[in-house]
Amino acid sequence: MILPTLEQKAQWEEEGYLVFENAIQGEDLKQLQNAFDYWADACKAEWLDRVEAGEAAATFYDIPNPLEKDPIFIDIIDYPSYYGALMAFTDHELILLGPQVRTVAPWPVSYTGWHPDVGYDNPLHIKVQIYVNDVEPGGGEFGFVPGSHKPGSGPYTRPMRQESMTGHKTFPGKAGTAIMFNSCGWHVSMDNHSDTPRKSIILIYEKRTPGRIGPQQFASISEYCKTPERRKLFSLDD
Amino acid sequence: MPRIDAHLHVFTKASAEFPRETPDIWPAEREEPVEKLLGEMEKHRIDQAVLVQMAGASIANHRYLLRCLKEYPNRFLGIGLVPEGHPNPAEHMAELTDNTGIIGFRFSTFGGPRDIFAKMDVREFAAYPIWKCAAERDYVLWLYPNAISAHLLPYLIQEFPQVRVVLNHLAACPGKGKFSWDEFGRPQVQVTGYNLFMHTTYRLARFENVNVHLSGQYAFSREEFPYKDLAGWHHGLLGGFGAKRLMWATDFPWILEEPGYGKLTTVIEELLPGLSEAELADIMGGNAKRILRFPDL
Repeated sequence: MILPTLEQKAQWEEEGYLVFENAIQGEDLKQLQNAFDYWADACKAEWLDRVEAGEAAATFYDIPNPLEKDPIFIDIIDYPSYYGALMAFTDHELILLGPQVRTVAPWPVSYTGWHPDVGYDNPLHIKVQIYVNDVEPGGGEFGFVPGSHKPGSGPYTRPMRQESMTGHKTFPGKAGTAIMFNSCGWHVSMDNHSDTPRKSIILIYEKRTPGRIGPQQFASISEYCKTPERRKLFSLDD
Repeated sequence: MPRIDAHLHVFTKASAEFPRETPDIWPAEREEPVEKLLGEMEKHRIDQAVLVQMAGASIANHRYLLRCLKEYPNRFLGIGLVPEGHPNPAEHMAELTDNTGIIGFRFSTFGGPRDIFAKMDVREFAAYPIWKCAAERDYVLWLYPNAISAHLLPYLIQEFPQVRVVLNHLAACPGKGKFSWDEFGRPQVQVTGYNLFMHTTYRLARFENVNVHLSGQYAFSREEFPYKDLAGWHHGLLGGFGAKRLMWATDFPWILEEPGYGKLTTVIEELLPGLSEAELADIMGGNAKRILRFPDL
């Protein structure tokens, strides 16, 4: 487990995010990209039917139940390059809430506006966004307002244009980059004016609280969770 | 400031003088005439309204709407329909807007790729000539997009920023097979618990020419009036579009029996209780007057 440096800890506390360049690389990255592309393609027709039926948004889609589709999607949940930081920040009481294996289409406007995911009274809620393909500036890259995770910061209001958000920072990056952020902080997907869909995986974690996730939630992947650490991460023994 | 009901329907019995389509829900003998509407408006202090064509898109089908507009030119503006696949929509629209009070047209499809990941050339969209015509002749486009068409809208809006756009019924985009009628004869649209429209039509707030109706709550809500489960939708629209681009409407006559016209005149105060007096007045009519250019009374 790679624990965060003092500098990383300080940045996490002060700014609410960390960037792990080349967090996933080499064969692991290729495997992840292949699994992503295969399943995104396989699931697309069904997603379009759901859009037509008004059951799914037209502007992005997630591969359903990705953990059951390829073990690589499980292996990135506790991937060494960022797992240590997740454990350190949650006092080793980390649980997974779920993954979003997401393809976002180029579109004249972003599919979402600036927002925090949870309030300050929520148990520590962390997301890790992993780019599966290269994400250039203007290609739907992640945006975050450093420091906005702190109670007493702001107030923040959602601007009409993504780039008008006060104090924001954007995060273009190469495939394999992982961006960890405190979900109390204001964040967004910037507009994607390129002709390339943004492929990324958003892993959602939280500091454990009793009963938050039941043992059935991830029971279908139990065979891949043999170690006590993994079983705890996936709430399999709760 | 006038109080304006920005979206409703009137129709009369089907006849040679006023031909119309006669589906089961509004059979030939049913009528919801303009006089009945005027009675409700009078009773609840509503000054003006937008009459939206239904029951047929041909020129002849518009005769009753045209008669109402002619008879009450200061009270009403009209929205027409264009037959799907019409060979010359510009001609059809011109005929219906020649000093008639019809100011625009209602659509739900745009004729572009079903898949948002496809290459988008807005000039290839079937609706392109209609939007071009609207831009040239200053028509308002009254939109109730199908779920599978919503992603096409920003391409058209970007291409024609001068066209005034009004998204109907809370900017909702009904899904295929999700439309029905309830026991009160009201349209019902089944929607997901999670509001998907915030990822499509709500995102159009970026474009200053896009406006939204606060109406049709009964069709989406799982509760009775005042439809508190839709408060979040209203706050989302207010936050995105602001109080200057929202318009209240009742969708008369579907709401006459339940909850009744009078109750719906209070629905905005119920769902957006934090509005200032001026904001409420804008939503209840000021915006419709300004955006749709209603005549002074």
